[in-house]
Amino acid sequence: MYSYKTGIPQIDQATGGFDAGTNLLILAPSLSLGEELAYILTKPLPGEYSVMLSTNERASEVINQFKAIGADKSFVGVIDAITKSSTPTITDTGRFMFVTNPTDLTGIGIKFSQMVEAIFDGTFSGKETGLFPPPIRFCVNSVSTLLMYRKLEVLYQFLHVMTAKLKKIEGFGIYTLNSEAFDEKTVSLIKQLMTIVIEIKVERSDNYFRVMGIHGINADWHKFTLNRGEVVMAL
Amino acid sequence: MISTGMYGIDDMLGGGIPEGSRVLYSLDPGVDGQLFMISTLFSALERGQSCLAIIPHTTVDAFLHDIGQLREKEIRAADHRMVFLDSVDRERIQRSAPNRAAAEKEWQTRIQRLCTDNDVEVIFGYFDIIYEDFGLEKGLRLLSRDCCPPKSTIIIEHLNFEGDTFLESLAVRKSFDLILTIKSSFRPLPHFNYFTILYTSWSTQLRRSVPFLVKNGHIVPYIPKIVVTGPPESGKSRFVTSATELGVSVDRAGPGRDATTVAMDFGWLHWQDFEITLYGTPGQPRFDPMLTVILNNAMGVILLVDATDHGQLARARHLYKIVAKMHVPVVVAANKKDLPGQMSEEEIRKEIGIGKSIPIFLISAHRKDDVRAVLESLVDSITRFIY
Repeated sequence: MYSYKTGIPQIDQATGGFDAGTNLLILAPSLSLGEELAYILTKPLPGEYSVMLSTNERASEVINQFKAIGADKSFVGVIDAITKSSTPTITDTGRFMFVTNPTDLTGIGIKFSQMVEAIFDGTFSGKETGLFPPPIRFCVNSVSTLLMYRKLEVLYQFLHVMTAKLKKIEGFGIYTLNSEAFDEKTVSLIKQLMTIVIEIKVERSDNYFRVMGIHGINADWHKFTLNRGEVVMAL
Repeated sequence: MISTGMYGIDDMLGGGIPEGSRVLYSLDPGVDGQLFMISTLFSALERGQSCLAIIPHTTVDAFLHDIGQLREKEIRAADHRMVFLDSVDRERIQRSAPNRAAAEKEWQTRIQRLCTDNDVEVIFGYFDIIYEDFGLEKGLRLLSRDCCPPKSTIIIEHLNFEGDTFLESLAVRKSFDLILTIKSSFRPLPHFNYFTILYTSWSTQLRRSVPFLVKNGHIVPYIPKIVVTGPPESGKSRFVTSATELGVSVDRAGPGRDATTVAMDFGWLHWQDFEITLYGTPGQPRFDPMLTVILNNAMGVILLVDATDHGQLARARHLYKIVAKMHVPVVVAANKKDLPGQMSEEEIRKEIGIGKSIPIFLISAHRKDDVRAVLESLVDSITRFIY
């Protein structure tokens, strides 16, 4: 089974990477490095593909973020839930697909299926590398925004379907959630769908993370920074 | 009757949807089935019917652009009798209504006003956000004849997270006149989409499931693989040739005898709005390792036997054992009925060891009518198969 490397030394050294089918929640407060960490975890390594469901940034901005951390954009697809509200006539391409807004879970689900189908068919990037099943990293950035548009019960069902699909296609799911914006019940319900949770906290402008759900890794806080798409552990 | 706008589906429904019906197109998450509702919408617009589209998940401009893309055809509201309630209306209602009851009342007022002012005949509603806003009962009431004109036809698309139990409860309560579900499956093909006519109020037909593909902006019922197998010289290549419009056979002529299939027969036909591909296997036992490969992912099998050759039946029995393991619909065609010395259906059934549930047809593979009767029976079995 394929293992997804994280770029976080503590995790990769202890586990060799995440098993295919892992779903990971990044629980982070505002103004932390949570979103940047999500990009790093979603960045496709050679032979991999990434699909980003963006509810906060336009597709062009998402691609710029990936380029900034050294990703090959040919292997990145974006489902953009922002641009179409201001540009209704924007047309889907193989790697950029658009839904009007984050309420449209039907559209989001269909666009995700279409992208995955193109990746499996070998027609996604024109530079296919031949691994099968193709390793796919899928990021929802962010669950917090989806929760502003749809009720928790509906979103739970939607994420339940998405996490199950990720398992079926042997992908790796990454979901970001603002830890300060929602009550305990909401956070706990979303956590139920996940295999692993990375929690981030900020103290005196320093970011710390801890990992929960991996056998053999303790849940201690680790101070970290990010540098050019790399996770750097502070001493 | 109102046409669904989809090949083959109108026939399965007995000509279309009776006017004044309430229809549910239920989509499983991630299944590319939006074209079902859009096809029916286009059909209504092409007939010049006045339509209301309730699209709380999107804006009018984005919706028109999207459906134009899906159907590969530009559509402008001004060219048709079409009015909308969209996400902008939903936001306005949410902002202005002090509570849920007031919001529901406002939706009702707007739907009634648009219907009256525009003589709306067909209403198209995207249900899952209305369901979320008002709950099942009140949501359904908004899209019912309580709020819409009594003679209007109401077509609803819903993203179904709640599974078959939810749909069965709607069928039991007779909330809809037609429930059509759109799903995907990984068996017997690696991945395919299919629709199921789960319930109709105007007929007692059994539920039917039909794989489909999207071609040039249309839903096309589709059977990607039917395998024709049987003992040597039972007439498989002739059967495939008679059944199909386009085809090829990989044969080799032996010394002093007719050509025999050494790879496979392949044929394609468009029939009764279905697209069907037939694969014929070689009959010689030495090709049996290939047989399992060709049978892989088949949705149905036709077992051909020579009704005049008793000596073939042991081979047919062996082939049937292989086919039975696939757990897909099977039909037996006893060929060469036009020649003397043919066995009876009972004799063939007993010798091959097949039960009464599997149909046997006495045919001549040279006669297209006979061949099509076999295909019709198998397609009927495939559409009744539970995926």
